[in-house]
Amino acid sequence: MRIKDIESRMQNKFPDSPLKGDDTGVTGAKWSISVPISGIRDAAMEFDAAGFFLESITALDFQDTFELVYHFNCYEPGSRVTVRMLCGHDQVPPTICDIFRSAGWLEREVHEFFGIKFSGNEDLRPLLLPEDADYHPLRKTFGRVGAYHKREVIYG
Amino acid sequence: MSEGLLGSELFRLILGLVIVIAFSQLNALFLVWLERKVSGHIQLRPGPMEVGPHGLLQTIADGVKLIGKELILPLKADKKLFFLAPVLVFTPVLVGFLVLPFSPGLIIHDMNVGVLLVFAFSTITVLAILTGGWASNNKYALLGAVRSVAQNVAYEIPLLLAVLSVVLMVHSLSFSHIVESQKTVWFIFLQPLAGLIYLIAATAETNRAPFDIPEAESELVAGFHTEYSGMGFGLFFLAEYTNMFLVCAVATSLFFGGWNGLFGFSFGIPGVFWFLLKTYLLIFVIMWVRWTFPRVRFDQLMNFSWKVLIPLSIVNLLITAVVVKII
Amino acid sequence: MDELEKIEADDRVYSLNLGPQHPSTHGVLRILLDLDGEYIVKCDPVIGYGHRGHEKMGENRQYKQFLPNTSRMDYLSGLLYNHGFVLAVEKLAGIKVPERAKYIRVIASELNRISSHLLWFGTYLLDIGGITPFLYAFDDREHILDTLDTITGSRLTYSYCRFGGVTRDIDSKFIDMTRAFLKRMESRWADYEALVSKNVIFIHRTRDVGVIDVNLARQYGVTGPNLRACGVAFDVRRSEPYEVYDRFDFEIPTGTRGDALDRYDVRFREMQQSCRIIEQALEQLPEGEFLTPKVPQKLSPPKGEVYTAFESARGLTAYYLVSDGSPAPYRCHIRVPSFGNLNVLNDVLPGTMVADAIAILGSIDVVIPEIDR
Repeated sequence: MRIKDIESRMQNKFPDSPLKGDDTGVTGAKWSISVPISGIRDAAMEFDAAGFFLESITALDFQDTFELVYHFNCYEPGSRVTVRMLCGHDQVPPTICDIFRSAGWLEREVHEFFGIKFSGNEDLRPLLLPEDADYHPLRKTFGRVGAYHKREVIYG
Repeated sequence: MSEGLLGSELFRLILGLVIVIAFSQLNALFLVWLERKVSGHIQLRPGPMEVGPHGLLQTIADGVKLIGKELILPLKADKKLFFLAPVLVFTPVLVGFLVLPFSPGLIIHDMNVGVLLVFAFSTITVLAILTGGWASNNKYALLGAVRSVAQNVAYEIPLLLAVLSVVLMVHSLSFSHIVESQKTVWFIFLQPLAGLIYLIAATAETNRAPFDIPEAESELVAGFHTEYSGMGFGLFFLAEYTNMFLVCAVATSLFFGGWNGLFGFSFGIPGVFWFLLKTYLLIFVIMWVRWTFPRVRFDQLMNFSWKVLIPLSIVNLLITAVVVKII
Repeated sequence: MDELEKIEADDRVYSLNLGPQHPSTHGVLRILLDLDGEYIVKCDPVIGYGHRGHEKMGENRQYKQFLPNTSRMDYLSGLLYNHGFVLAVEKLAGIKVPERAKYIRVIASELNRISSHLLWFGTYLLDIGGITPFLYAFDDREHILDTLDTITGSRLTYSYCRFGGVTRDIDSKFIDMTRAFLKRMESRWADYEALVSKNVIFIHRTRDVGVIDVNLARQYGVTGPNLRACGVAFDVRRSEPYEVYDRFDFEIPTGTRGDALDRYDVRFREMQQSCRIIEQALEQLPEGEFLTPKVPQKLSPPKGEVYTAFESARGLTAYYLVSDGSPAPYRCHIRVPSFGNLNVLNDVLPGTMVADAIAILGSIDVVIPEIDR
């Protein structure tokens, strides 16, 4: 069971970050873990070593911070894991594109939509937007926006 | 006296050329219609039905449309070569018709090197394709042209070797001699391998599927004629069908007994009908193949020629030579 | 940049712009190829020509209003995308779905999956140069479209699912048409096998072409039939069964070599398995409601997030919705399978020929509007 393997690996690596289990299945993940910016590369390496693949990277824009959400999965039933990382609006998280090759494009997408730079990713040209786009449409300061909350409004 | 003869021979040639041009155009129009009908029926649909009975006049309507279209010259294309290529592709095909033996009395010019003439001139087609592809200033066109040259060089060899084995048996390069000697037995029964090699190589020579890699529309958009519009494209298109008729007519003369009937029995049908019937049947087979098979890849095509067809045709030629010598 | 300059300095190499207008790029995909003769040296897919900002639209619309958008992403399996979206919202808002509706959704989804695979089958052969199978496949697909037309009223972008069920119940006419289609397909598989699967040229064009091994697939997050062709039996319908998929007996076809032929084979057998699922679903179909009454028109799910994965025709697809308690999601992200499936070309194409590039691209079965979103 790879999920057990990664569970112990993550607990060893990040003893301060508790694993938040989800029994309802709403979040789609077995458990989630919050890691600091400096820990994402270590986390990704552990997932790579445990035979997981990177399903998606996405970001959430809050008034006080960005939140990057990484979904990892492996080819065994119900093994999805969410890794969360808070990242200030002016912080630059490290890339994981040398660990998971799919991260290259996913980070490009996050970069063009949110303006989050990834240090170490050389190729951050816009992927879906025009090549000269200098705006970040999914930020809550762009265009028509329903609401712009602080993170605690949603996650308590 | 001699001047009169020369005059009449020249007159014959010119008249023949006019007839050939008229026939080849009409024939190409008919073949385009036939192809669309054959493909339609293979693909569970009726094909063209609107213009004329069963869409017979559809290609004429298409031709009129093509003539009415603007000829677009791409930027930085070589103008002279660009417009020369469609003309160049059509002329050699016409020359081939001059020596085709439709029936004993219906050969425009019965040359003693007729076979040689047909194959010598058909090579010019490649030159035209290369010219067109090069002059277009388009990478797809250039790739198509380059593929075409490589393909034709590779397939001309087995084609000629296959023809040579027939020529060895007859000791003549004249079409009428070759057809005459098939009065009772067609050469396809004596030279089945050569016949098969000829048909495969001829399909490749005319850039027909599954060997249509110079124009491979899903890879190279339209290959060497990507940039041609209007009648520029139309001429390439007509040349393809005329060429197809030519190679099938040559196949009929060399392997399927030309104007002769089955095993010496003509059932009262005139030779010219026998000839056309067999030619159109062969054309039908080529069309049938096109709508059934996917396209081969470029390197597979070359491998097939150099590693299979050429050795086989050489062996076949050697055996023929030995047998002819013994008999 | 150094690498690019080096390549340009080498005068054997020239670049070719494959697309965005090209017969075989399946929509508006552009691939920048560096070629040495016919061989590909470097490949860089350029996407985004069909970008419509679906994620931004999702944040500006109520949940119900966003539903029609979903089938515009992967327009070939629109119903599956509808299905996934209502699954996500139902989970988020805690809406119960009647048994009958679940079965109807599964039947409609599997029909849509077959139609998507049939279209791929036809166009893939078209890419390789076989034109006739295209017409055959479209003839069969037409039957599915007609069948789905009777219950959804559309042929391509269905928007058939609703939160708590489906728009319209299925009737005996639909069931008869579906059964007739299943019967028809039984003999068609043999036709396709004779015409295509056993064709020598086809096999030579696809065997050992574009091999994706398991590790490469994992690195790029390749899912769906492309992953199963590498020998991994990973299917969301089996690994995280949603709706009633755990009640059906069906196989997950897998390949061994991970080449284009395997991908063809996997999809081909998947269509047959989908037929099996439909057959069983029609037999088990319970009576009852097809739509939960009393689902509020203006849905305001509780605060929180949902991530729902489902198996679309192209692989693992997922909706990630974050709700702030208002009628519109705070964040709406869609994980699309073609994204990773196309990305893998970066590693697969170099070293192959232009003709192979077309064969590989076709075998991966990407739908560009889904990637562009």
